[in-house]
Amino acid sequence: MSIYGNAVKRPITTIMIFVALIVMGAYSLNKLPIDFYPDIDFPAISVITTYNGASAADIETNVTRTIEDNLNTVSNLKEISSTSRDNMSIVICEFEWGTNLDEASNEMRDALSFAEQYLPEEVNKPALFKFSASAMPILFYAVTAEESYPAIAKILDEKLINPLNRVEGIGAVGLMGAPGREIQVDVDPRKMESYNISIEQIAGVLNAENINLPAGNIEMGMMDYPLRIKGEFSESAVLNGLVLASYNGQTIYLDDVATIRDTIRDATFDERMNGKTGLRVIIMKQSGANTVQVARDVNAVMPGLIATLPDDVEVTLFWDSSDFIEGSINNLSNTLLFAGIFVILVVLFFLGRWRATFIVILTIPISLIVAFIYLYISGSSINIISLSSLSIAIGMVVDDAIVVLENITKHVERGSSPREAAIYATNEVWLAVIVTTLTVVAVFLPLTLIGGMTGELFRPLGFVVTITVVTSTLSAITLTPMLASKLMKLRKKPKRVRALSYDNTIGRSLNGLDRFYERTIRWALRFRIVVLIVALFIFIGSMMIAGKLGFVFMPEADQGSMTAAIELQTGIRVDETTKIARKIDKYVEEYLPEVIFNNTSAGSDDQGGMMSLFFESGSHRINYNMMLTAQDERTRNVMDLADVFRQYLATIPEIVNFDVVPNGGMGGTTENNVVVEIYGYDFESTSAIAYALADSIQFIPGATNISVSRDPSKPQLQIVPDREKMAQHGLNTFTLANAVRNRVEGPYLSHYREEGDEYDIVLRFVEEERNAISDINNIALRNMNGDMIRLSEVAGIEEHWSPPNIEHKGRERIVTVSVTPYKVPLNELAEQIQGKINHMEIPPEINMQMGGAVEDLNESMMDLMLLLVLSLVLTFLVMASQFESLKMPLIIMFSIPFAFSGVVLAHLATGITMSVISMVGGVMLVGIVVKNAIVLVDYINLMRDRGYELSEAIVMSGKSRLRPVLMTSLTTILGMLPLAMSRGVGSEIWSPMGIAVIGGLIFSTMVTLILIPVIYQMMLRRSEKRKKAIEYDFMNGNSIEQ
Amino acid sequence: MKAIFIVYNQAQTEKVEYLFDKLNISGFTRWTDLTGRGSVDGPPHMNTHTWPEQNTARLAVVEDEMVEPILEGVKLLDEVNKDVGIRAFVWNVDAMY
Repeated sequence: MSIYGNAVKRPITTIMIFVALIVMGAYSLNKLPIDFYPDIDFPAISVITTYNGASAADIETNVTRTIEDNLNTVSNLKEISSTSRDNMSIVICEFEWGTNLDEASNEMRDALSFAEQYLPEEVNKPALFKFSASAMPILFYAVTAEESYPAIAKILDEKLINPLNRVEGIGAVGLMGAPGREIQVDVDPRKMESYNISIEQIAGVLNAENINLPAGNIEMGMMDYPLRIKGEFSESAVLNGLVLASYNGQTIYLDDVATIRDTIRDATFDERMNGKTGLRVIIMKQSGANTVQVARDVNAVMPGLIATLPDDVEVTLFWDSSDFIEGSINNLSNTLLFAGIFVILVVLFFLGRWRATFIVILTIPISLIVAFIYLYISGSSINIISLSSLSIAIGMVVDDAIVVLENITKHVERGSSPREAAIYATNEVWLAVIVTTLTVVAVFLPLTLIGGMTGELFRPLGFVVTITVVTSTLSAITLTPMLASKLMKLRKKPKRVRALSYDNTIGRSLNGLDRFYERTIRWALRFRIVVLIVALFIFIGSMMIAGKLGFVFMPEADQGSMTAAIELQTGIRVDETTKIARKIDKYVEEYLPEVIFNNTSAGSDDQGGMMSLFFESGSHRINYNMMLTAQDERTRNVMDLADVFRQYLATIPEIVNFDVVPNGGMGGTTENNVVVEIYGYDFESTSAIAYALADSIQFIPGATNISVSRDPSKPQLQIVPDREKMAQHGLNTFTLANAVRNRVEGPYLSHYREEGDEYDIVLRFVEEERNAISDINNIALRNMNGDMIRLSEVAGIEEHWSPPNIEHKGRERIVTVSVTPYKVPLNELAEQIQGKINHMEIPPEINMQMGGAVEDLNESMMDLMLLLVLSLVLTFLVMASQFESLKMPLIIMFSIPFAFSGVVLAHLATGITMSVISMVGGVMLVGIVVKNAIVLVDYINLMRDRGYELSEAIVMSGKSRLRPVLMTSLTTILGMLPLAMSRGVGSEIWSPMGIAVIGGLIFSTMVTLILIPVIYQMMLRRSEKRKKAIEYDFMNGNSIEQ
Repeated sequence: MKAIFIVYNQAQTEKVEYLFDKLNISGFTRWTDLTGRGSVDGPPHMNTHTWPEQNTARLAVVEDEMVEPILEGVKLLDEVNKDVGIRAFVWNVDAMY
């Protein structure tokens, strides 16, 4: 017994199966985490190695190169790049998408263990760092304080961070910009020298006094006492009274030669929240945790925790990634809802019967719910991609049910009992229904095979659409006939037709439409040459327009945030940097009212640890993090604001370089930019070319945010020892170097301990005695004999320039110039830049290449072209076997080029730039548009087989199939309309796809209805004649073969 | 005794069953999934993509007086919708075992 026969005969079983599906789906839906993007881990692993005191150039030769050479053999490695900075080497291994990163990191560890033996002794062990999108911060809190500010780190640690760490799903809680307490011992060199004491002596005393030591046990009577010496400083004031030495019989205390302050660390970092001093609490989730849930939990416990803090400490939510996610998800859920409503209205409009509409639309929730089961089993989440995929599928899932139901209705109206009609009518169409579904699957399943980042984005789309469409087909041949057998009944012709009944209004106008279409086809068949020429003209015309339309990689979304990295003259002092930051703050407050939250950090936070990896910092850098008001409350979008801000920054003379990134920071968007890569060993010539190129690019309209990756060289003071003179005084370079370091940076000292926390004790010259070259020259060095020798006597001080960062890509030195387009297409900008490059004179040893989003765009284009070809071949295979003919699929495929014309015209009409997203929309169209043509061509074949003459068969079929074609097209178009129209958060990415599909489908539907009949007639005229000839020959007794 | 051969669109199966039950005809032989074409009008039932419908046939040997009510019932069924298709043919039974 067939599947549909069983379904109809055992209605309870059928219902139970579908109820089971719904229960499982509801369970999955309840358990599914909500996220913005699917868990896409960018396949890259960094190796971070620190080598204190080494310059960028030393790091490059001694550390980076060795590591690079050893890592180069790791399998699946796509590209190796590195940055060598002062004290630090970062090597980034980028792998092919889909590489198992656990295996890769094991292999890297093996390679590194081999590399370690070639690294210098003092180098710290290289550390692997896996960058994961899910490890990105999900919440930022801003903390401001007045009186409690000096102790804020301790307060927050106890009252906020520790309790927060107990919230489920939290990976880490970090603190940035917290002032650290330290005990400063500022030595006055004059006093110190007059007492004949050196810094080293003081350090020795401090280390010797600040000590607790167990000293064994003593047994007294019945007891056993452990013995302890307790010399650790009980409070910082103890330092004042430390005895250093005795001079001329007089005891010298530490406060005789130094000022001791228990205070907060030197400000090398200035952190402001909306202009107020503040710090950031950063919360990261565990990989795989539900962002929205974690954020909700944190926000729930936060008020309670804040209440325990001192009154002057204010904690404000600065950035909550779940807001954006929830906004997008709600927006898409609404989109899905509207899509559903539109589809229901279309079905009701064409069928005109409540029960039939109910049966058909029931396939929508069932198909969608099975998609949720898939998402749950595959470990995915509810995210903008899975929801958009559902939105795309929703218009396609009703098609099969409509076809089945239509045939059942036909049988019922002919007088069959609904039960039998359901079985036999399904029997007649089930194969056709499965084949049309296969054409859709033939297009969407290959989507799961694309590589690269596009593949990561569209794999869920392919799976979700395939699964929902297949489910809808299964439901159409089981649930639909079963429900039809129970719910349908023969409608008696109403005796009195009401004036406003369905038949009298919509039915009548649809009949009118049928007749109009019949006349159009007849006209088109007569003037087929005209139709062909017009069609050809439209296609060629649209393709020419397509060549002129710009291309971007991904449409930019307005995520309501903006970051800016501003770079001043390298080597500038933090105070100066801070002054400029205040100036910019003021501008932002005055001229960018859209910014509701503004976080400025100037200088570098040496204690920031891992956090500093996310933001490049330095005394000459200012980082801005801005939140904007909600999208509907402002007229300027984030791209416009970024441009305004850039123009302002360009007017400040102190600023050397700046990079304003709309949507930057934590959202994880791909930046749309052109990157010119300049390879070459020599710093000077490559830098010169990079800056020359950057200068010439400035004049290209729409080129903004031009930045050169290599910072300008940084001045350095080098102490050059004169070995001969040193030898005469009994000194060597080691003593010299240590003496200078101890006086300027401070020697290593024990820590001051209080209530379980350790604080640094910093001993060095008072600041006024160590901020000029003369101060350094004046440093007194003590030789073996105890004589004091000034540094200037044995060494000279020279100023040198050295590059602060050296970048490699593919183990070669590289400088990049990156440019962001503003209101110009990416590919156009790339072409213009290429033009500039062609005009430059480049030495043969220097190599230039285009990279960045342009490279991604080209890679994706190739992938998509391949995908298109694959889809075309697969649909052809399916259709050729369905029709058992090579000619029919060819006729049907004539509708595809016009889908692309539609895509182009839709972009032209809406003014949206083409992107990879709209191209994927184009590929999807292949599967969607051939469905229409299949319906039409199949019916023409049927009519011809039933004995109608070619033209007559075409006209009849057209008239009969107009409604099904319009209906399936309209359900798909209107199902996507909300997606295309949505203007909410994150919609910029998906509306181009909706627009592409709608444009392509409308256009190709019109073409299908006119052009396909014409082409059918032209291609089959000859075979029709031959058929007649064969009949004739047969009748005359000739053999058929002749 | 007469042999009556009824061939009909399989969509009529239940109605023909009902007719036989009503007339208390217990014996019959049935063939399912048959193809065929009418001599006058109506669509062929060929189980092809072009003509997807199929027939079922029933052969029953009945008393002479049962022929009349059966044919009446068949006529009634046919008149609901001529396009669906049902035909009955009657011939004599010369001998039986």
